[in-house]
Amino acid sequence: MMGRIAWKLLPAAPALVILFAWWVYWTIAQPPPSVIPSILDVVRTGAELAFGGRLAGDIVASMGRLLGGVAFGMVTGMIAGFIAGLWRPVADFFNPLVVFFNAISGIVWLPLVIGWLGVGNALATFLIWNTVFFIIFQNTVLGIQLVPEVLEQGVRSLGGGRWETIRSVTLPGALPYILSGVRSGLGFGWRALIAAELVGATTGLGQLIFSGSEYHRADIIIFGALLIGAIAMLMDRWLLAPIERRTVIRWGLVAASRGR
Amino acid sequence: MTRHLRDLRVLLPFAVLIAIWWGLKDGFGISDKLLVSPPQVWSAFGTLITRGILAEYASTSLSMIGIATLISFVVGVPLGFAVGTNRYAARALEGFLRYLQGISGIAWLPLAILWFGFTHTTTLAIVIYTLIVPIIFNTMTGVRAIPENYVLALRSLGASRLRIVTDVYFPGALPSIVVGTRLGMGYGWRALIASEMLVRQGGLGDLIFGARTFNQIDRIMVGMVVIGTLYIVVDRLLVQPVESMTLARWGVLRK
Repeated sequence: MMGRIAWKLLPAAPALVILFAWWVYWTIAQPPPSVIPSILDVVRTGAELAFGGRLAGDIVASMGRLLGGVAFGMVTGMIAGFIAGLWRPVADFFNPLVVFFNAISGIVWLPLVIGWLGVGNALATFLIWNTVFFIIFQNTVLGIQLVPEVLEQGVRSLGGGRWETIRSVTLPGALPYILSGVRSGLGFGWRALIAAELVGATTGLGQLIFSGSEYHRADIIIFGALLIGAIAMLMDRWLLAPIERRTVIRWGLVAASRGR
Repeated sequence: MTRHLRDLRVLLPFAVLIAIWWGLKDGFGISDKLLVSPPQVWSAFGTLITRGILAEYASTSLSMIGIATLISFVVGVPLGFAVGTNRYAARALEGFLRYLQGISGIAWLPLAILWFGFTHTTTLAIVIYTLIVPIIFNTMTGVRAIPENYVLALRSLGASRLRIVTDVYFPGALPSIVVGTRLGMGYGWRALIASEMLVRQGGLGDLIFGARTFNQIDRIMVGMVVIGTLYIVVDRLLVQPVESMTLARWGVLRK
């Protein structure tokens, strides 16, 4: 019985160990709060930001950019992915460009694009789009190419046209891959967003933690970073994992790639 | 298809792209502050090469990713083994590692700057953090995917714990470790560039972000091309061969 409870509580252990070590270190070494704040400071700062401060606005700003960038990346990535997946010569022609631009996707564009779009929502959205696009594109192409040809031939032999085949076989067949791409795309988009907001925005969670370093407020940074991780985890667990699971069960011919 | 033709097929889309870029630049008379033409980028490339600037910035970035990969590998793989071979440790750390993956290295950059200042240490800390999580994670999954019977078989023949690690765990988990390292290097490279942009102590990220301050679009574009090319070269010519080699040699265990 004790063993079972301990087993259940085990995932909390690392957090508890870190909190304990932090508390011990802080009590013994008494470091300056601007470098390592006390746990209480972080909690208090979090509460202050949440109830009186800018936190809600920053979260909304970040989420808005994330949704905009990911939605845009999804639509363009899927369209491009379908074109490349259905016409092999197109895919072959563009492949070198995809490899190259994938290698510089995201934050590498910041210095150039900041001159085009200025600091703000458009820049952050562009950087997220640029990150997400390639993930969705590649998963869409992969998903389409992995649909067994027999199924397509089946529909054709029953008199289905090309459009009919795409609608009833290719799309549902590729969907699990696309959704798994959306899932990892959202994760990568979130990372790209934080990086983009450090310099490319005036609001948002990235800017919140960056302002923490300007004002030497480690408590703000630690609270912000922990919150960033928590939001990423909640999005993945409550939004994306269920959607992916449902489509995999519904249409999945094969286990969805983790796409980590 | 001959080799010549294949090279051409790789280069052709770039030629088309450069033509479109050039056409846009000249056709619309776009200002040099927004976009420069291909010859301008080429001549900036020449300047950066002959003055040795590019070599200096690129070698900083390359040595940083090299050192970070080495440290992450040496620390991350044993940690991954420790976690993977012990089901209590695995249960305790899996969720925690997943949570850490949600906090990108760059989110810790402001804290690292407070702790270590605007130094290489800050960048190194961020890149190692980014690299080490996928390495630990993949080592762990690799170890846990090894059929228990192999371990039991060796143990029943009287093998020591060390022997089991070197003969079963290491080769069994190696393909997964290499995949994790390759992934980590990809993430790490991007984190490195981002960190260099803010830390401003050399490296390709510093090169392109510094050029921004002086509106040197030609230098920014040279930097972008170099960042992409170096990544592809390291990934395709160095890391991918190792990956396919280990997969071919030991990949059987990955079932």
